Amino acid sequence: MYTYKSGIAQIDEASGGFDAGTNILILAPPMSAADQLAYALTKPVPGEYAIVLSTNERAAEVVDAFKVAGADKRFTGVIDAITKSSTPGITDTARLMFVSSPTDLTGIGIKFSNMVETIFEGNFADGETGLFPPPIRFCVNSISTLLMYRRLEVLYQFLHVLTAKLKKIEGVGVYILNSESFDEKTLSLIKQLMTCVIEVKVEQNINLMRIRGLSGVPGDWMKFSVSKGQVTILP
Amino acid sequence: MISTGINGLDEMLGSGIPDGSRILYSLEPGVDGQLFMISTLSCALAKKRPCLVVLPNTTVDAFRNDVQRMYGARPDLALAPVTFFDSVDWERIQKGSKSPEGRARELQARIRKLCREHDVDVIFVYFDLLNEEFGTDAAAAIFTSAQEREKKITLVIEHLNLEGEQLLDHVIRDLNFDLVLAIRSSFRPFPQFNYFTLVHTSWADLPARSVPFIIGEGRVIPYIPRIVVTGPASSGKSTFVLNAADDGHSVDRMAQEGSMTTVALDFGWIRWKDFDITLYGTPGQERFDSLLPSYLGHAMGALLVIDATNADQLPRARLLIEMIARRRIPFAVAANKSDLPGTLDPGLIRRSLAIGDEIPLYQISAIRKSDVNFVLESLVDSITQFRY
Repeated sequence: MYTYKSGIAQIDEASGGFDAGTNILILAPPMSAADQLAYALTKPVPGEYAIVLSTNERAAEVVDAFKVAGADKRFTGVIDAITKSSTPGITDTARLMFVSSPTDLTGIGIKFSNMVETIFEGNFADGETGLFPPPIRFCVNSISTLLMYRRLEVLYQFLHVLTAKLKKIEGVGVYILNSESFDEKTLSLIKQLMTCVIEVKVEQNINLMRIRGLSGVPGDWMKFSVSKGQVTILP
Repeated sequence: MISTGINGLDEMLGSGIPDGSRILYSLEPGVDGQLFMISTLSCALAKKRPCLVVLPNTTVDAFRNDVQRMYGARPDLALAPVTFFDSVDWERIQKGSKSPEGRARELQARIRKLCREHDVDVIFVYFDLLNEEFGTDAAAAIFTSAQEREKKITLVIEHLNLEGEQLLDHVIRDLNFDLVLAIRSSFRPFPQFNYFTLVHTSWADLPARSVPFIIGEGRVIPYIPRIVVTGPASSGKSTFVLNAADDGHSVDRMAQEGSMTTVALDFGWIRWKDFDITLYGTPGQERFDSLLPSYLGHAMGALLVIDATNADQLPRARLLIEMIARRRIPFAVAANKSDLPGTLDPGLIRRSLAIGDEIPLYQISAIRKSDVNFVLESLVDSITQFRY
């Protein structure tokens, strides 16, 4: 089975990376570089694909962020839930798809399936490497926004289907949730869907994270920084 | 009657949806099934039936654009007799009333007013957000009450079904829906396999059917990607495939005994009753048996063709049946050449092949297109009634 490298040397050395089918929750307060951390974990290495469901940024901004992080944009797809509300006439391409709003879970599910299908059929980008099943990193940025529009129970059921599907296709999922805006019940329900949780906090302007549920990696707080898609564990 | 816009489905329903019905298109998350509702809307508009489309999660402009993308230029929503209630209207109601009861009352009044002013015949509702806001019963009541005041109104609902079978049972049993169609996906018999299931029809006693489909040319196409036609050598498989197909290819070569024999695969493509079907005819010789499991791998049905005048073929045919039975797919037996003298008794064939009455046995002549069509029709019927 395929193993997804985290790109963080210490973690990959200790655990080998994330097994196919892993769903990772990034639980982070605002202004804590959670987006950058999520994108760093989602950035596709050669032979892989990335799909980002963006409820906060336009597709162009996501693509730019991946480009800055050094990702090959040909292998990055975005499901944009922002742009269509202001530009209704915008049309889908193989790599950029649009849904009317973050409320539109029907559309989000369909676009995700369509994008995965395009990848499986080998029609996503030139220069396919032919790995099968194609390794796909999927990022939801963010569950917090989805929760603003849909009830927890509904979103839980929807994410349940999505995370199961990701396991089936042997992908890896990264989901961002604001740790300060929701009650314990919400956090614990969303955690139930995940196999690994990365908690992030900020102390004296220093980002710290600890990882739960990844074998071989101790659950201690580690200082880290993210720059140009590269996460560095600080001493 | 209103057409669903899918010929194969209309035929199953007995030419479409009766006026005044309640219809649910239940979408499993991730299944590209939005074209079902759009197709029905398009057909209603093409018949100049005044429609109300309720879309609380998007704007009219975004909807028009989506329809055009999914369905091509048709329907021209700018010219059609259609009224919209969209996300802008919904936000206005949300801001206007603080309690869910107040919002429901306001929405109900608004829907009734629109129905009255525009003499609406069919209401199309994107149900998710309303279901979440009011609960299934109260949300449905907003529209069924409009129906009760004006009996001819047909109600068509599309819903992202996160609740599963429970919801379907509820709308059938408690909300008296007339047609429930579940649009689903599966990873069996092959990945990303989409199908729709006719769960309930009030106006006809139909068996629950599951029909695979693909989306192509802006429409829903019922689709059977592979039916394997197999059997002993010289039983008439190639003749069957070629006679069944609109466009078929055989790769027969002259065998040592002087007759033609298949050395690779026969292919046949059929557009039949709006179904797209592909037939794979396998070679009959034992040396190709190792290939049969892979041909059967993603098949949705199989047909075993035997020569009804040749008892010597039966042990070999029985072996092939065992291989098919392992795949647990619908299959039938066609006793070919039954128009010739010396045809074996059907009872003897059943005993020799060890097949019970549940496996259909057809006495046919593969050179007669009507026989071939009959077998195909019965097999497709079995496939669509199979539980995936």
